[in-house]
Amino acid sequence: MDRRLERFKGKRGMTVSRSYLCVAGVVGVARGVLAAMAVLAAAGAFAQTPSPRALLERQAPAGATSESARQILSRVRSSVVQIKGFFGSNTAQAFHGTGFAVARGGIFLTNYHVVAQQVLYPTKYRLEYRTHDGKTGPIEVLAIDVRHDLAVVRAEGIAPRPLPLETTVPDKGDRAFAVGFPLDVGLTITEGVSNGRVEDSFDPRIHYSGALNAGMSGGPALNTGAAVIGVNVAGYRFEQLVSFLVPATHVRALVKRALRPVPGGLKGEVAVQMREHAVELIGALEGPLTTQVMSSYAVPAKLAHFIDCSASSDPAPERPLQVVRVRCLAKAGLFVEQGLYSGDLRFEHYVLETSKLDAWRFAHRLSKLSVATGGFGQRRYVGPFSCTTGVVKLKGFDASLMTCVRGHRKLDGLYDITARLTSLNESQRGFVSHVDMHGVEFEGGMRFLQRYVEAMEWNP
Amino acid sequence: MESVTPEFVIVETLGSHGRVQTRDRVPLTAEKRHVTIGRSPRADVILDDAYAAALHAAVEVAPDGAILASDLGSVNGIGVAGRRHKGARQLPVPNGLLQVGRTRLRVRYSNEALPLEKPDHAAIAPVRGSPSWVAGAGGVACAAYVAYSAWLDAPRDVATTIVVAFIPALLIAGAWLSLWALISRVTQGEWRVVWHTAILFSVVAAYVLTVNLLDVAWYVFSLPPSEPRDVIIGAIAFAVALHWHLTHASGLSRGRSVVIAILLPAIVTGAGLWIQFRNQERNVNHIGISEQLYPPVLRVRKAASVQDYFERAARLQAHADSRRRAIADDDVSESGIGDESLRAGGR
Repeated sequence: MDRRLERFKGKRGMTVSRSYLCVAGVVGVARGVLAAMAVLAAAGAFAQTPSPRALLERQAPAGATSESARQILSRVRSSVVQIKGFFGSNTAQAFHGTGFAVARGGIFLTNYHVVAQQVLYPTKYRLEYRTHDGKTGPIEVLAIDVRHDLAVVRAEGIAPRPLPLETTVPDKGDRAFAVGFPLDVGLTITEGVSNGRVEDSFDPRIHYSGALNAGMSGGPALNTGAAVIGVNVAGYRFEQLVSFLVPATHVRALVKRALRPVPGGLKGEVAVQMREHAVELIGALEGPLTTQVMSSYAVPAKLAHFIDCSASSDPAPERPLQVVRVRCLAKAGLFVEQGLYSGDLRFEHYVLETSKLDAWRFAHRLSKLSVATGGFGQRRYVGPFSCTTGVVKLKGFDASLMTCVRGHRKLDGLYDITARLTSLNESQRGFVSHVDMHGVEFEGGMRFLQRYVEAMEWNP
Repeated sequence: MESVTPEFVIVETLGSHGRVQTRDRVPLTAEKRHVTIGRSPRADVILDDAYAAALHAAVEVAPDGAILASDLGSVNGIGVAGRRHKGARQLPVPNGLLQVGRTRLRVRYSNEALPLEKPDHAAIAPVRGSPSWVAGAGGVACAAYVAYSAWLDAPRDVATTIVVAFIPALLIAGAWLSLWALISRVTQGEWRVVWHTAILFSVVAAYVLTVNLLDVAWYVFSLPPSEPRDVIIGAIAFAVALHWHLTHASGLSRGRSVVIAILLPAIVTGAGLWIQFRNQERNVNHIGISEQLYPPVLRVRKAASVQDYFERAARLQAHADSRRRAIADDDVSESGIGDESLRAGGR
């Protein structure tokens, strides 16, 4: 997923958008009104009137949506809990999300990204649940599925009724509801529409057109029958109600796995699953690579259905240098922990052409675009780069190729591979291609890179 | 021992670094064998010193050649060998160094024994005028390079870009030349602007030419990139410029100038490279390979096959692994517990 995508775990002290603050402010006022009314009620002022909550409910418009949302919420309320993470012995929470009962015996499901810190730093973080009526207790993580961003946990002291799972992906336009604890303002239900499975996504996701906010991660998304169709996971912050759910079909498999102990512990399991994901990603790009011709060069284009490519350029014909940029993203990166996404691929081509610049100045402009950057890796997660350069003979032309590799420190066996290829054959036409692979196996990544450059061709 | 009867005495006024500022020659006669020093016009050596008496001190030369000083009843006395002497009579003055008031004096006499002349083994330098043609040629070369760089980057409004590029270049050159001219003026009494201009422009022109020619050569022969190449050439250019500036500005001996010109750039460049290396080892996003391209027609070396390239690239895994392992696990600033809590709480 690209950068605008937000995973909806709540975080203490996070910068929330102004609209989020507004929501929080309104709720705060409402709470104050409720508290004042409660005091008055206790003093007998409302002796002859209904309770404040009933009053508010009665005052709510009896519109088309509220009735079913209220029914759904009343059916699932006891099965949904807030999950809170604490650093060390702090009583102030570090992060929070939502979970819901999926099996008997206090077995709950949430997102992996809600509990990731505790899985990776089990001695530093602890988890607790909090029910809608204020009951709290500890939580233990039983199983994780990093690929689908799911985790199964066991809560001590409660065993609510598990919610039924609906493994069939709802049709586009079916009504759907999402339940969770957004921004720590209490149990909330939002209503929207399911838009079916997300097209062209490497990871299976359901597109939910409804509000999901920070803190709702791990909560259930339900159909009108109150069956779980998916798990709240992410959405675009600056778009309008484009949210994503993990299909419920992946929940069942994980719950079964949760009953078996994991050899090597959950922390080791993260690296294993990330490697599996990387192998699957590179494996999905096997076979002949699709190319497109740009300015007499054939370069890799949309290599698979899940790769999203966009092209841009300045159409003004008087510019001395015409640059066409094609950018392709696999959007397959998985959340490992805060600041670390892994298992992704992106590539870019800059194709340059001029009729006004001489060879000397054209070469200079081409070299400026061929500067390689190492992305935004953090030293706590990756090592430094090792690089090699050389001039290689491709189909019909020579090109300068630089390849840099750095190893992951926390995910054994995974590497970031960055390559930059610059054509060296024409004096007024040429291209630079950048490839970035994050968190892939070395052999698989290098094999892909070799196929990537071998697919290029010059046809004057 | 033969007695000394000098015909005259020299009294030199010394500046703060021992340099002679004034020199008075006072003849001695059979009747008058001493020299008086003070503020009075009647004194043999007249001092412009508020701390000196009208007739402050008298100096004479003993028959054995020793210089003797007497206080003529001053308030402040005379300073000899770092001590103040009041009412002293015929006090021996080592090396003739004497302080009267706040003025430091050296007393010499006509037939004092001098050490032998120092032998000079250096070649006799021909008398040359200012190298204005070198300064001019160097200036033109530097200006050409600034214009070339601006032209490379600005295919549209070349003239403006060239002017904009010239301003900082001129400011930097002006500051550098002013510094050296000032040093020359202070130490040698001459500004020597043309000399320093010639040195700066010729060295910069040589540096730029070398670096660019090597850059082209690297491209022509497809050589692997060498990150510190330009820095090392820069250090050599700095050393050469420093040596020439020093010998022309300060009158330092050639040996001392060479030592300074080698040590200073070596220390500065060494420290710079070391800090850069350390930072790069810590910066996991650093790649640091920038390749300057030139017209393809200049290339002479044959390209390698893709297969060969990737066989070579397979070694990157081991290299990356060793660099990854070299990062200390106990790096508190990156992965310590304090960092954890900050990250967890601050998100």
